[in-house]
Amino acid sequence: MDSLKRALWGLAILGLVAGAVPLALALVSEQGHQRQLIAIVGPVTGWAFVGTGLYVWWRRPDSNFGALMTAVGFSSCLGALRVATEPTIFITGLVFIALPYAVLYHMLLAFPTGNVRNRFEWGLIAVSYASAIVAHPVQVLFQDTGRSGLPENPLLIAVGPEVVAIISRLRFGIGVLLIAALAVILIGRWREAGPAHRRRLLPVVMSGGAVFALFGTWYLSVLSGASPDLQEWLERARVVALATVPFGLLAGLLHSRMASATAVSDLITRFGDPIPDGRGLRNALAEGLEDPSLELAYWLPHERRYVDIDGQPVAIPEDGAGRETTFVEREGRPVGAIFHDARLTQEPERLRAVAAAVALTLDNERLQAELRARLDELSASRARILRAAHDERKRIERNLHDGTQQRLTSVAMELGMAKSRLKLDPLAADEALGQARSGLTVALAELRDLSQGIHPGILTERGLGAAVEDLAYASALPVSVTATVHTRLDEPVEAAAFYVVAEALANVTKHAQASNVAVVMDHEPGSLTLTISDDGVGGADPARGTGLNGLADRVQALGGSLELRSELGNGTTLSAVIPCA
Amino acid sequence: MRIVLADDSVLLREGAARLLTEAGLEVVAQAGDGEELLAQIEEHRPDVAIIDIRMPPETDGGLWAAREIRSRFPKMGVLVLSQYARPSYAFELLGETAEGVGYLLKDRIADVTELADAVRRVGRGESVLDPVVVSQLVGRPRSGADPIDDLTEREREVLALIAEGRSNQAIAERLFITERTVEKHVTGIFDKLLLPVTPDDHRRVLAVLAYLRA
Repeated sequence: MDSLKRALWGLAILGLVAGAVPLALALVSEQGHQRQLIAIVGPVTGWAFVGTGLYVWWRRPDSNFGALMTAVGFSSCLGALRVATEPTIFITGLVFIALPYAVLYHMLLAFPTGNVRNRFEWGLIAVSYASAIVAHPVQVLFQDTGRSGLPENPLLIAVGPEVVAIISRLRFGIGVLLIAALAVILIGRWREAGPAHRRRLLPVVMSGGAVFALFGTWYLSVLSGASPDLQEWLERARVVALATVPFGLLAGLLHSRMASATAVSDLITRFGDPIPDGRGLRNALAEGLEDPSLELAYWLPHERRYVDIDGQPVAIPEDGAGRETTFVEREGRPVGAIFHDARLTQEPERLRAVAAAVALTLDNERLQAELRARLDELSASRARILRAAHDERKRIERNLHDGTQQRLTSVAMELGMAKSRLKLDPLAADEALGQARSGLTVALAELRDLSQGIHPGILTERGLGAAVEDLAYASALPVSVTATVHTRLDEPVEAAAFYVVAEALANVTKHAQASNVAVVMDHEPGSLTLTISDDGVGGADPARGTGLNGLADRVQALGGSLELRSELGNGTTLSAVIPCA
Repeated sequence: MRIVLADDSVLLREGAARLLTEAGLEVVAQAGDGEELLAQIEEHRPDVAIIDIRMPPETDGGLWAAREIRSRFPKMGVLVLSQYARPSYAFELLGETAEGVGYLLKDRIADVTELADAVRRVGRGESVLDPVVVSQLVGRPRSGADPIDDLTEREREVLALIAEGRSNQAIAERLFITERTVEKHVTGIFDKLLLPVTPDDHRRVLAVLAYLRA
C-alpha cells in the first residue's frame, strides 16, 4: 500500500468518526439547535462528501478536487457540532457553521480539475473564506446565544446586537454578490461546454447551484425581513440541498464512465463493420467522443513522423489554445495520435479507453496508409519502367532505321553496281566490292553496339563477374573491382546489378571528377550487395538524373533497395542490395 | 593444315568453311555445338579448332569446349571467335599458357587473308589476340603513376603487337623495321615496365598481358 492510499484510509476512518459525532450529539442533546435536521442530514452530508471526495482523490491523485470535497465533508461535520448543548462544543460548531459553504464555493469554481482558473476567481474564493472564518467568528463574539434559547456563548465578549446585525448584513450582502458571480461563471461554463462535458457538469451545477440559490434566497429573506418561518424553511432546505451535492457528483461520474463505456463499445462495434473510406475511423471517433474537431494522425516508423490519412505530413499541434493531443500506442510502440478539443482531457478515462480501443484499428489503418503509399510508388515505378522500355524501343528503331538499314541499302547498291560492271569495267567493280565490304564492316560494328545496348552479351555468356570486369576495362577511369560472386545468379538480378554498376561508372566519369573508383560486389546467400564508391567531389543529387531513378525502379522491382550517399567533398557512394538466391 | 569448325549458325559455318578452303586450309569437319565439336575433335584430331564462343550447351558452350580441348589436347591449336571483343574472355582463355591459343573478333572472318593467317599462327603454336582487345588493355587508365606513359610511341606499338602474339620477325615486318631494332624496343619496354626479359614468345605474351591486366 503506498503512502497516499494509507493516508486516504486514515482520512476515511476519521471521516466515519467525524460523521458519527454530530449524530451522537444530536441523539443525546434533547434541546440541541436544529436537532432533527442535523441528526438526519449531518452524518449523511459528512460521510457522502468525505466518501466521494476520497474516491475522487484516489482515482485522480493529481487533482485537488477530491481533497476539496473531503474538506467540505469534514467542515460540515465541524459545523454540525452546533447541535451540542455543551457550550464549548456548541460554539465551535457555530463558529465554523459557514465554512463548508466556503469550501463548497471553492470546489464549484474549481470543478472538475480542482484548479482555479484565474485571479478573479481566486479573489472570489478568498472573500468567501474570509466571510466564513473571519467575519462570521467575529460576529459570534458579540452574539448572545443564550437569549435565543441556545446554549450559552463562552466566547461572548460583549452583547452587541447592533454589531451582529451590521456584520451579518455585510456578510449577507457580500454573499449575494459572491453567489451572483458564481451563477454568472457557471452559466458561462455551461455555454462553452461540449455535450460530453455538459453531461458531467449538469448534476454538480444543479446540486451545487441549488445550495447557493437557496443560500442566496435565504440571505435575501433575512435582509428583507421576511417571516421567520420562511427563513427557517429556506435554511433547512439549504442544509438538505448540501447533502445532495456529493450524490450529484457521483451521478455525474457514473454517467461519464457509462458514457465512455458506451462510446468505446460503440466504437468497437463500428470497427467490426467495413469502414467505407479512410475517414471512417476519424468519423467514428469524432462521434464517439462528441468532438467534431477531432483529427487523426498515423505514425510512420521509418520516416519517424506523423501523417494524415492521405499520407501528408502533419505537425503535432501545440498544447494549449484549446487543443490537446492523445498519443495512441500499441504494444509499446506509437501507432498514431488523436488531436482533439482540450475539454476532452477532463475525462481522461474515456480518452484512455477510446485510445486503447482504437489502437488496433489505427494500427491497421496506418498499415493501410503505408500500403497505399507503397502501391502509389509501385504504380509510378511501373509506369516509369514501361516508359523507359518504350523509349528504349524507339531508340533502337531509330538507330536501326537511320544507321544500319541505310548502310545495308548502300551495300546492296554497291554490289549491284559491281555486278553490272564486272565484265566491262573490272576495276570499277573491284572498287565497288571494296566499298561494299567496308560498308558491311561498319554495319556489323553498329549492330554489335546496338545489341550490346539492348543486353550485354557477356552477361548472358559469362555472368556478372566477367561483365563487370569488362566494364572496368572499358571505363575511362581506373576502376578496381572486388567481387565475391562465384556462381551465376538469376538473370534479372545479374542484369540489374550490371546496370547499377554501368550507370554508376558512367555518372562518376561524367560528374564526379574522381581519380579512382572502387566496385565491390558481395554475394551472400540471400542477397547481393553492390557498392560503387569514388574519391570525387561528391554532392550528387539523387533527385537529379533519370538514370538513377530508372536504376532504383529496376532494383526495387526485385525487392531490393538503392542508396546514394554523396557529401560535398567526400566522394560519392552508390550502394544497392538485391535479394537473390 | 587440318581444321574443325564449330558455330551454331549453319550459314556462317558453311561460308567460313568455303573461305578457309579457298585459302588453302583443309576443313575436315564442322560442328553445331560444344559436345558435337568434342566428338569431332576426338575423331579427326585436327591441327586447329575454330570455335564460336556463343553456342550450346548453355550460352557459352564454345568457351567450355575450348577449355576441354586445351586440357585434353594441349598441343592442338584453338582459335576462339567472339561477337564482342572482351578482355575477360581473353584472360580466361589464355590461362596458364598462351601457346596455340587465339581470340579474335568474329568480324575478322570477312578478311580471309587475316583469318587464314591467324589460323596458321595458332596451328604453329603461336598466340593470337585481337587488336581491339589489346588496344583496350593498353589504353585503359590505371591508378597511380603508370610506366606505360613513359613508353615512346613506337614502343607502345611494339607492346601492342607483342600482346597480339606477334613474333619479333612479324613485328619487324609490320613496322617496316629490322628485327634488331625490334629487339632493342622490346628490351626498352621490358626495362621500363620492370618485366624480366624472356626469349620465349608465349611467356612474353603472358607477361605482357599479366602486366596490362593488373
